[in-house]
Amino acid sequence: MVSHDDVIQIARLAKLSIKEDELDALTGEMQNIIDFADTINSAAESGEAFDNINNLSNVFHDDVVIPSYPTEKILENAKDVADDCFLVKKRCD
Amino acid sequence: MSEISQIKKINNMLTSKEISCEELTKSYLAQIDKVNGDLNAYVNVTPDIALASAKKVDEKLAKGEDISLLAGVPMTLKDNISTDGIETTCCSNILKGYKPIYNATVWNILKEQDAVLLGKTNMDEFAMGSSCETSCFGGAKNPHSFDHVAGGSSGGVASAVGGNIAAYGLGSDTGGSIRQPASFCGIVGLKPSYGAVSRFGLIAYASSLDQIGPITTNVEDTAIIYDAISQYDEKDSTSQGKKGCSTCEALKKDIKGMKIGIAREYLEGVRDDVKEAIENAVKVYESLGAEIVYFNLPALKFALPVYYILACAEASSNLGRYDGIRYGYKTPTYENVNDMICKTRSEGFGDEVKRRILLGTYVLSAGYYDAYYKKAQNLRGTIVKAFKNAFDSCDVILAPTVPMTAFKVGHAASDPIETYLTDICTVPVNIAGLPAVSLPCGFNPKGMPIGMQLIGNTFCEGTILNAAWSYENKVRDSVFKSPELGVKL
Repeated sequence: MVSHDDVIQIARLAKLSIKEDELDALTGEMQNIIDFADTINSAAESGEAFDNINNLSNVFHDDVVIPSYPTEKILENAKDVADDCFLVKKRCD
Repeated sequence: MSEISQIKKINNMLTSKEISCEELTKSYLAQIDKVNGDLNAYVNVTPDIALASAKKVDEKLAKGEDISLLAGVPMTLKDNISTDGIETTCCSNILKGYKPIYNATVWNILKEQDAVLLGKTNMDEFAMGSSCETSCFGGAKNPHSFDHVAGGSSGGVASAVGGNIAAYGLGSDTGGSIRQPASFCGIVGLKPSYGAVSRFGLIAYASSLDQIGPITTNVEDTAIIYDAISQYDEKDSTSQGKKGCSTCEALKKDIKGMKIGIAREYLEGVRDDVKEAIENAVKVYESLGAEIVYFNLPALKFALPVYYILACAEASSNLGRYDGIRYGYKTPTYENVNDMICKTRSEGFGDEVKRRILLGTYVLSAGYYDAYYKKAQNLRGTIVKAFKNAFDSCDVILAPTVPMTAFKVGHAASDPIETYLTDICTVPVNIAGLPAVSLPCGFNPKGMPIGMQLIGNTFCEGTILNAAWSYENKVRDSVFKSPELGVKL
């Protein structure tokens, strides 16, 4: 059973703010979706171990420094920048 | 017989000097201007970029240089495919104004061949939806009836190609997002094998499921585009490129003796008009000499919940990057960094995206991981194995693309589960990493297109497109119908 507290906790983990007036509807929707997801637990089999698709294996590159994008290009989309860095509010005193 | 391939037709028109590339591009831009208000297919039209590319093609032709088959062909990209310096929003408020600083590999490939980009097209927000209506720009409409949705999530590409305001387009398919809108709009859409086409520059939804593929008006154009974009790319760690010969070479082979499988589970819960169209397609294949094989795939029963658990889990991780710090929307007022991130995400994401992030976070959280995520991964293994076994007895699986035809605008929104159920025929392919092509196979009594999909074994794009082309070649006039819209070539 999904409770208001569950939704608040999950939203906190997902870094989403839930307004008080959204909580009832969202809890109901979450319950319906979880009930739907829960149908997999009616499967008789435990399933096959699955670790990759189409026999893919990890790709490793040589440990060589290659040119990247210029700093000013990377900062172009940020709202607040200073001294070639992304700017955020101070997190501790 | 007139040329069916739009790409070949345009190439002939350009190389024979029947029309200049600039004239052709201007005619597409004029039609976009005329019909995009109704279709809402494009969210960002790029006339300057299109005309600059057209000029380059005309200069090459004037100098007598050879041009590639794709040179000068006006096309579009879904708005989750990165384009250097061109706004790419995923149709989300959180990415409005974002201009990537690099190109997706698929766009680099096409750009190298002098493709003409007309603009970026509409989609469900972050590709999460089946009607294109979760877009922050409003949904794309169906070119066969503006009262109906184009489908989703690549609804804008399908609407533009179906409405003849792009010769072809690239979409992405995580659980049916190329095939479902292609089916709704009466055109062709290919979801390639996992690893066949580079996703570098595709804004991620669910990385173990996402693939980029073509949406076109005919099967041959799909083969041409697939052959062009299926290249190995070191920037995508899952990239393998195309395996085997070109699909264009395989396209027109005789399919006599090809084994076409029908999994009975795919026909459960399908509307009568769709079922009848599939049965008629089976008869066409029999007349072409194919052998029809019926079998059961009971593992399909769990495909939809497995898909939603895995896709949402991956989305909750992939979408963690939107924090307002480096790009996109940032809330104007906040108290501290955590408050800024939470407000930015809550104000920037739409309801469906938030719903999926919450579900994904839930199934990955302590106490629920084993019951949901781990179990879903194991059932994914079961589904992969079931398809592998099925391909021991057939070459291609024929199934409906969607259990119904396009729904009316506004109909999809109210119940999330009911909307998810429309993906029931398309998601198994993504779970198993297989290729599948959707193509038209009839119309319902109201004239809305019905689509079927042909599913192949891994990297067997050539086989499914061969089967698709053979069907199209036999019955094109009765199942493909282009609406009276857009550019007439």
